[in-house]
Amino acid sequence: MDTKAILDHQFVVAAYIVTWVIQLGYLAWLGMKWRAQKREVARIAKMPR
Amino acid sequence: MKKAAIGLYVLITVGLMIWGFYQAIYVAPNDAMQGELSRIFYYHVPTAMLCFLFFAISLVGSIGYLTYRRGNPLRAQAADALALAGAEIGVIYCTVVLITGPIWGRRAWGIWWTWDWRLTTTLVLWLIYVSYLLLRRFAAGPQVQTLAAVLGIFGALDVPIVYMSNRWFRTQHPAPVFGGDSDSGFKDPLMLHAFGWNILAWFAWGILVLCFRYYVERRQQKIAANEAQEALDA
Repeated sequence: MDTKAILDHQFVVAAYIVTWVIQLGYLAWLGMKWRAQKREVARIAKMPR
Repeated sequence: MKKAAIGLYVLITVGLMIWGFYQAIYVAPNDAMQGELSRIFYYHVPTAMLCFLFFAISLVGSIGYLTYRRGNPLRAQAADALALAGAEIGVIYCTVVLITGPIWGRRAWGIWWTWDWRLTTTLVLWLIYVSYLLLRRFAAGPQVQTLAAVLGIFGALDVPIVYMSNRWFRTQHPAPVFGGDSDSGFKDPLMLHAFGWNILAWFAWGILVLCFRYYVERRQQKIAANEAQEALDA
């Protein structure tokens, strides 16, 4: 592999990694928000009326 | 039954993502001019096209909210949740576009960024919707949803400008892959297949995340309504 091909490959890998980090990071944040809501709903359900 | 359907959809989406990745990296041939670097397009272009779709969903939600906010508050809340979910997923996709594009540009052009029409209008679109999300996050009061809906509608006006920018003004950004001049489009069917599978995969992924975000926002609205009721009862 020549230097150009190696650099091209590194840039492609970087673009794919960035894409997945953003998408999975957002999904993880959403998952945490969802879990916090679940706890909140459980707390409301336990409160005496 | 509902859980099984969701599980099946998640499985199909994950399968599509793996298949799309395989097509983009292992099946599609290298571009004659750019070599391996062109494989960035299999993620960059589908996410760019789909961010328009999610901003359009946000537009529909915003119009729905303004339409129903007086006559049908329940439907207005659902429309508002859809507008927020669409804007958020659109921003995520647009962020991917604004990062993968410069990564490609650094190798292809030798620069990370240039104030080209397509790049600039896309950045403006991203900034408008980030401001939409910041407004929703930090502003308080009964008018926030209305203001956000108006901003969402005006933000969506930038979408056709972004779409047409590299048709109206031929500057640095490459010519449109589809819908451009007679020379546009992929020349190799394997490239077209890889591109098609990645559009489908990112569409399925986006819809999955959109539904999840919508569900979370609807539940947030119910919690907020419950808290308001508790405050009134106290």
